[in-house]
Amino acid sequence: MYQSYIGLEIHIQLLTRSKVFCGCKASFGDEPNTNICPVCMGYPGILPALNEEAIRMAYLTALALNCEISRNTVFDRKNYYYPDLPKNYQISQFGAPVGKNGYMDIEFHRRRKRIRINEVHLEEDAGKMIHAGEVSLLDFNRTGTPLLEIVTAPDLEIGEEAEVFIQNFRKMVRYLGVCDGNMEEGSLRCDANVSVNLRGRGLGQKVEIKNLNSSKFVRKALNFEIERQEEILERGGTVRQETRQWNENRDLTEAMRIKESAQDYRYFPEPDLPPFTPDEEFLHSVSSLMVELPLSRKKRFMEEYKLTDGQADFICEERSRADFFEQTIALGADPHQTATWMSSDVKRHLNRLGTEVNESPLTPVRLAKILKLLKEKKIHVKIAKQVVEKVFTEDLDPEEIIRRNGWEQITDRNELGRIIERVLRSYNHVMEQVHRGDSKPVGFLMGQIMKATSGRAEPQLTQKILWEKLSLRVVNILSMGGAISATFEDGVIVPGRLGNVKDLFPDRKSFNGKRIRLEALELANNLSEEITPEDWALLLATINEKLKSTDSAGIVITHGTDTLPYTASLVYWFFSDTEIPIVLTASSTVPGKSPEAEENLKNAISSTLTGEPGVYVILGDRSYSPVNLKFQHVGTGGFTNWNMEKPLYRGPSIVPGDFDFNRETLKAGLEDGINRSFIARVFPGMKADYLIALINAGVKFFILELYDTGTANLRETPYSIKNTLLYGRERGVKFFCTSQQEGIVDFSEYITSHELWKEGAIPMGGLTTESAYTKLLVSVMVSETEEEAVRLMESTYESISI
Amino acid sequence: MVKSISTEWKEIFRSSEKKNNYLEYVSRWEEKIGAFLEFNPDLGLKLASGKGVFEGVPFAVKDNLAVETFHLTCGSRILKNFLCPYTATAVKKLIDEGAVVVGKTNMDEFGMGSSTDNSALKTTSNPWDLNRVTGGSSGGSAAAVAAGLVPFALGTDTGGSIRQPAAFCGVYGFKPTYGVVSRYGLVAYASSLETVGVLAKNISAVREIFEVIRGEDPMDHTSLEYTPSGKIISEPVLGVLGGDLGLDEETERSYRKTIDRLNKLGFPTIEIDLPTMEYVVPSYYTIAMAEASANLARYDGIRYGYRPEFSENPDELVKTARNRGFGDEVKLRILIGTYVLRSGFQEQYYVRAQKIRTAIREDFARVFSEVDIILMPVFPVIAFKHGSEGLDQFQQKLADKFTSSVNLAGLPALAFPASVEGGLPVGMQFISPPFEEERLFRVAEVYEREFPPADPPGYSADWR
Repeated sequence: MYQSYIGLEIHIQLLTRSKVFCGCKASFGDEPNTNICPVCMGYPGILPALNEEAIRMAYLTALALNCEISRNTVFDRKNYYYPDLPKNYQISQFGAPVGKNGYMDIEFHRRRKRIRINEVHLEEDAGKMIHAGEVSLLDFNRTGTPLLEIVTAPDLEIGEEAEVFIQNFRKMVRYLGVCDGNMEEGSLRCDANVSVNLRGRGLGQKVEIKNLNSSKFVRKALNFEIERQEEILERGGTVRQETRQWNENRDLTEAMRIKESAQDYRYFPEPDLPPFTPDEEFLHSVSSLMVELPLSRKKRFMEEYKLTDGQADFICEERSRADFFEQTIALGADPHQTATWMSSDVKRHLNRLGTEVNESPLTPVRLAKILKLLKEKKIHVKIAKQVVEKVFTEDLDPEEIIRRNGWEQITDRNELGRIIERVLRSYNHVMEQVHRGDSKPVGFLMGQIMKATSGRAEPQLTQKILWEKLSLRVVNILSMGGAISATFEDGVIVPGRLGNVKDLFPDRKSFNGKRIRLEALELANNLSEEITPEDWALLLATINEKLKSTDSAGIVITHGTDTLPYTASLVYWFFSDTEIPIVLTASSTVPGKSPEAEENLKNAISSTLTGEPGVYVILGDRSYSPVNLKFQHVGTGGFTNWNMEKPLYRGPSIVPGDFDFNRETLKAGLEDGINRSFIARVFPGMKADYLIALINAGVKFFILELYDTGTANLRETPYSIKNTLLYGRERGVKFFCTSQQEGIVDFSEYITSHELWKEGAIPMGGLTTESAYTKLLVSVMVSETEEEAVRLMESTYESISI
Repeated sequence: MVKSISTEWKEIFRSSEKKNNYLEYVSRWEEKIGAFLEFNPDLGLKLASGKGVFEGVPFAVKDNLAVETFHLTCGSRILKNFLCPYTATAVKKLIDEGAVVVGKTNMDEFGMGSSTDNSALKTTSNPWDLNRVTGGSSGGSAAAVAAGLVPFALGTDTGGSIRQPAAFCGVYGFKPTYGVVSRYGLVAYASSLETVGVLAKNISAVREIFEVIRGEDPMDHTSLEYTPSGKIISEPVLGVLGGDLGLDEETERSYRKTIDRLNKLGFPTIEIDLPTMEYVVPSYYTIAMAEASANLARYDGIRYGYRPEFSENPDELVKTARNRGFGDEVKLRILIGTYVLRSGFQEQYYVRAQKIRTAIREDFARVFSEVDIILMPVFPVIAFKHGSEGLDQFQQKLADKFTSSVNLAGLPALAFPASVEGGLPVGMQFISPPFEEERLFRVAEVYEREFPPADPPGYSADWR
């Protein structure tokens, strides 16, 4: 087996006002040769004068990279001739750079890895030479702008990891404010050194790759290069030490020039600059500029504000965004609300405007205000959304928008009570209809109240008062078929209809005196194993509708046992932030055969009455988490939860607030995800070719059910899945790995695990196959890009022990 | 107003009669000695501030120091047509005090030489004997001061380039402590060794000019605040070198004579030993050439300077420009400098030279714990003749040990006209610890009072 080694050489342009050794403006995009002076043009007799801002930024970056900070920084001359280098030597650092022996931690596929930083040094940039037909033109505006070079140890192994490193690094320098991190425009440049060797033999022959001007190219070029080198070694050849460049049009690396011997830069100490020896005051000023870095800020946000991985990721992506978030919190806004709004409505407006939140009309004060009005029920969600939109379009304060549009909500209980009384009086006959047991007109009454208040009645309070006046609560029972509603005919179970559920409760007292109306809806009438995407779409759309209708006290879903772990987790991924209880139940026997079906349904309905919001699976007298539910043997006692330290019923949803729950859209979305997915259980002798055939048939996502903590055969045999992984990785196929056993998949123990990790497989931690599969479907549906879906898949939940 | 410069000099541009007399005097001399590469007082008058302690006083500037609107050739073909867009700090400080730049003086190309014969642009001759060289590389400045064309001139000293021509031409040549005068505007040859300094007719002028040009400069981060001890030693002890110093007859005689004279003037002398002296020249040239190879890399014909009419590609342009633009001595030093910096050879040459440099510095420090000032010859021979009769390039380099040791140690040194031997001036030098320039001036003043320097034949203090 081969081991690959990747080291990066990153150059960042520092965001100083002036150049590193003269007073010229350090800006880009100006007329050629306008930001120049005798110093940066290398005129005879000039001397460099070190820019304090540049050296401070250099020290700050070195500090952020946990480097040993130099007390005696020496500048050296790096000698080479090139027309865009005015002095024909570059002032750089060789022996005693700003920082040495640092590190940056990255997280990749659940593994935290320490990437060592060999050194951080400050140098000057060169100009630009453009060949235009018969002439060569030179622009010296960039000459002498400060450049910081960061060299990592060869601690990275695969392109994906390097991509994560460069993304994290980019985020970090933007947080520090030392670089804008624009790879396309070259303010962050990356070269890579790659070598491959047999495992345990140390570094191989080094190949340098240039022209990696996006993090995506870093990944693609490195993976291409590693494979190229492995193939050469496989054929018994030797890799040539050379410089190659990434050709983005052909998706391959190609040789630039053969490095027969290393170029001799004849470094020697720069006699025109004394060594920089920072005093305590300087070092103090550097540490005072240190900010909380993205990774630790994200971690803190998750712990302190209980944000989900995805929310925290989004908010900490930009420092200005995270600052905005905290400023909003400081004004009293609820963290979860703030995060939700920022990552849904606010994000959408920002995307549309192509701007960042700190540059938009929405200020922390304005958002906090909107959330406060919402919390105080002065406006409802729909109005809040409109207010946000108007803040963006009209740049006004929320109160002003609400006042101008007459959007204040009526929240006064007495006032609402009076209005409701008036409406009920004029619809006396409707009220009687409700009392007869038909709850349909409740929606009509709500509509009339809204009409009477021009939509300003606070919905939840109105609902509550209305219920009180009508003394009514509704539990919706959604039947999906299964044995719980089947019949026993000629010795086999056939799908049947849900019986008259009202008969379950001849004694109304079982509801603790509460007036409960049971509403049953037959959504599907088949056996568990016959469930289709269409059935799921209908179920999800109906749950959403019932949640929105606001007259539901709880939802009970009757379901078959075989596919319950799938449906339960699917419902959870969609509705984990529900405000009312959603309870799934099933029965291993048909009603009448044993009391099981009726008992379970009864228990399910009863449990909705506790009013604890969440998604539950109730079987017998036990409740299970809908996530990581395992059907181990027949009988309702045959269920268990895997990898669950404490039951998980409720949590932030990965589905955005504005998700379209249209039944057809849901169906199309589910089908799209399902059609591109495949669950493959790894077994001894499994042939890679068959999985490749699946990839060729259009499978884009695999849930690979592996052994143990995530292992499989990866030796070079026809029974190894290595080729599948290679083949798939080239085609952007994702392999999400779960286990056939209870336990955590983290690729931590075996060499075969490491190979899996290296080939880009994604460990699913404690998630079971069923839950991973449904999460995949949801992730694909709610994500705009595949990367986003993968990120969602990797986002974790505390309760699932990982 | 400074006292060291005569009233005549201060009023030279006040009337057209005086100015014309002066211009005539200059052109008479220039026909013979060729001290200036560019002589244009009108340009200098435009730059002059018009007030200050040097108000109206003309001075010459070695052509490797930047003066706006003047050329900056460094005696090289590659910069022959280069017009300078800015002014060196030392020059600027004098201009700010009212002094007037009258022209730029000839020099060995980029300061590489001890005769000024390495100038690619002009030959300069010694005012005492036109068959002889002025010394170098600040030969033009030394000749101009000696002939009375200016009361003082700025020069630069990398390994003796002020002191040696001053000795050859019978004037004072002062090299300050490294870093005390800003190098901003000094075209670098060997950055860690060179300083801007003064050539003048009398010692008080040297002191007064030094007071103006010194001081920390934000444009030169290697420049230092001037921090002398302020201690005045009433009876300084002079250290002198014993044994065979390899001097020619005239210089040997002058050295003995100077020691005698100083003893009689009340300065005790003791013999000192500087064992590192033997390693000075190889160490000096290794460091100087290494730095030069990088410093001169910028002359590529792309942004300024000599450029061929047509080139196939940028590489060829650079090659042709450098091949045609540089003289042989410059090419030799770039080649050697590149060689000693090669990776794998650095330990053997460059790093070793730096170690020797440290040893030399320590050697001097040790001696200065015993004596206050060192007296040394400037150069082993008196001004030699132009062409093949004089010292060859290799002999000239070997002869640099008395001067370049001082540059390696970064010390201040003052070359003074010690005596005239066989019709030619001979110079000796005083060396002191860093920042103790005042010691040099005080001894030199006592010596000057008793043994005032002679002037070359044809010299006139009032341009008649």
